[in-house]
Amino acid sequence: MTETTVSRPFMTPKRLEMLRDYVPFIAITLVIMLFWALSGDRFMSTRNWTFIAQQTPVLMLLAFAQLMVVTTGSIDISIGSSLAFSAFLGALGMLWFGDAGLVLGVFAGGLVGMVNGLIISLLKIPSFVTTLAMLIIVRAVVIIVSDGTAIYITDGSVSGGTNISSVEAPWLLSMGKFPAIFILAAIVSLLMWAFYERTVFGQQLRAVGGNEKVLRLVGINVTTFKIKVFAAAGLMVGLAACVNLARAGAATPQAGLMIELDAIAAVALGGTPLTGGYGSVVKTIIGALTLTIVRNGLTIAGVPPSWSQVALGVLLIAAIAISLNRSKVDVVK
Amino acid sequence: MNDQTVQPLLSVENVSKSFGGVQALRDGTFDLHRGEVLAIVGSNGAGKSTLIKVVAGAHVPDGGRIVINGKEVPRAEHSVSHMQECGIEVVYQDLALVPNMTAPYNLFLGRIPRKFGIFVDERKMREKTREVLAQLNVTTVQDLSQPISSMSGGQQQSIAIGRAIAWGSDIVILDEPTAALGPNETSEVERLVEDVRHRQGTSFILISHNLDQVRRLADRIVVTHHGVTSREFRRDEITSDRLVKAITLGE
Repeated sequence: MTETTVSRPFMTPKRLEMLRDYVPFIAITLVIMLFWALSGDRFMSTRNWTFIAQQTPVLMLLAFAQLMVVTTGSIDISIGSSLAFSAFLGALGMLWFGDAGLVLGVFAGGLVGMVNGLIISLLKIPSFVTTLAMLIIVRAVVIIVSDGTAIYITDGSVSGGTNISSVEAPWLLSMGKFPAIFILAAIVSLLMWAFYERTVFGQQLRAVGGNEKVLRLVGINVTTFKIKVFAAAGLMVGLAACVNLARAGAATPQAGLMIELDAIAAVALGGTPLTGGYGSVVKTIIGALTLTIVRNGLTIAGVPPSWSQVALGVLLIAAIAISLNRSKVDVVK
Repeated sequence: MNDQTVQPLLSVENVSKSFGGVQALRDGTFDLHRGEVLAIVGSNGAGKSTLIKVVAGAHVPDGGRIVINGKEVPRAEHSVSHMQECGIEVVYQDLALVPNMTAPYNLFLGRIPRKFGIFVDERKMREKTREVLAQLNVTTVQDLSQPISSMSGGQQQSIAIGRAIAWGSDIVILDEPTAALGPNETSEVERLVEDVRHRQGTSFILISHNLDQVRRLADRIVVTHHGVTSREFRRDEITSDRLVKAITLGE
């Protein structure tokens, strides 16, 4: 024990190190206290917390997808477009095959993820560039396929005109409301936790982020592994798209615009370094929740949307600056 | 020290290897016996690393024979995985470890035990790790939940050597095992090698530029010069002068 302390002379006191681990938890507590003090019962009401519980799951699932990819040291910025594409195919699936057709949405996300993985692994193009291209391509594909129109989910009470595509699925709409969406999010979180923290696959994500070359040396097929990672992340995006479809009640070509940035921010707020190798499901949940609460709280406090974006950016930088000890980092790119 | 009449564990005979027009290795010949530490020394470009890579399976030789336990390795099967099956492991110079993972994970790299097909069997990994560390007499690694990047270089090298011997290999190739380590850590690693060799009968092939270390550890020393294993010394006949002459002049 003493030996490790001696070999790391620049280490800050141990208590501070331990504190860093709790930054996401401290941040969310401070944020909640702040808005409670600012807006009182308008923020701290059952109604508002129900709203937050409904707003968080889509972002949280997208953050899970991003977490898997980021842990390996890659990044996926195509998820916003993939969300729109998946939601649209999910709705289309329901039009074609009935309720069960919704799974088409999940698989659509998996497909986009797999294409990402194939391009990155086989053409050896960095994930940032690949998924940036896919962000553009997939969004365009959605607009082409949908012809710019939306597919609506209805509860059957309104009989719309014949020229509007709509699916009658009251069950799906109720899935997007408080108890159901919350329970679904809790179940997915539990599964994600077991998957990320306890499986061989989950440990492999960290190992690839840590030292990919060594894994190749001991005979692990990193190329196929990466394709699987992006495909798994894609399936999670597909699931998020179905939840979003339930929330929004429609699959629109504009769904999920810029949401990839929120997902990355949620992961970073959860203390996960974007360089890979480390990560935590619990903290990522906290990160997604913090992001939602800040946006919600600023709206309630009457801050104009543009200013609340500024506040979010500042919060992100502050959280990342505190959560990692950067005294030992000598190269910053 | 070793009975030279028994069949060697590993026999490398007249192995050669060229890259393009450059003949990196003209004639590599040496025997390795059970429980022996054999050092290969030579100046840069003398062919020692090519020789080692051939033995490790990373390069397929152009000519010559490699015999392990009396069985010749067929050229068609010459590969890293085949050599691993034959019991040859390499500890690479730049510590082939994953820095952000724990000691058990690094020990089990590529061999993670599973529960129910998908989950990591943490308990089994910890038990085996403690076993291997005890076997290596490494007492400094206590906290198995820490990433190895928080350990000293010597501890990390112990884990790397542990991985090479944990899976029952007979021959471990150490490629400059202490080049990146300080004096204390160097002696830690040297003690480890001595220990493993005596208790488990593991044979080591040591590549090192540190001639004092070579004299401390090796039973025999093979000198490579211009791609030829030109000279061989036993431990008791080595002096620094003779060794330096052999390395620089070929005699």
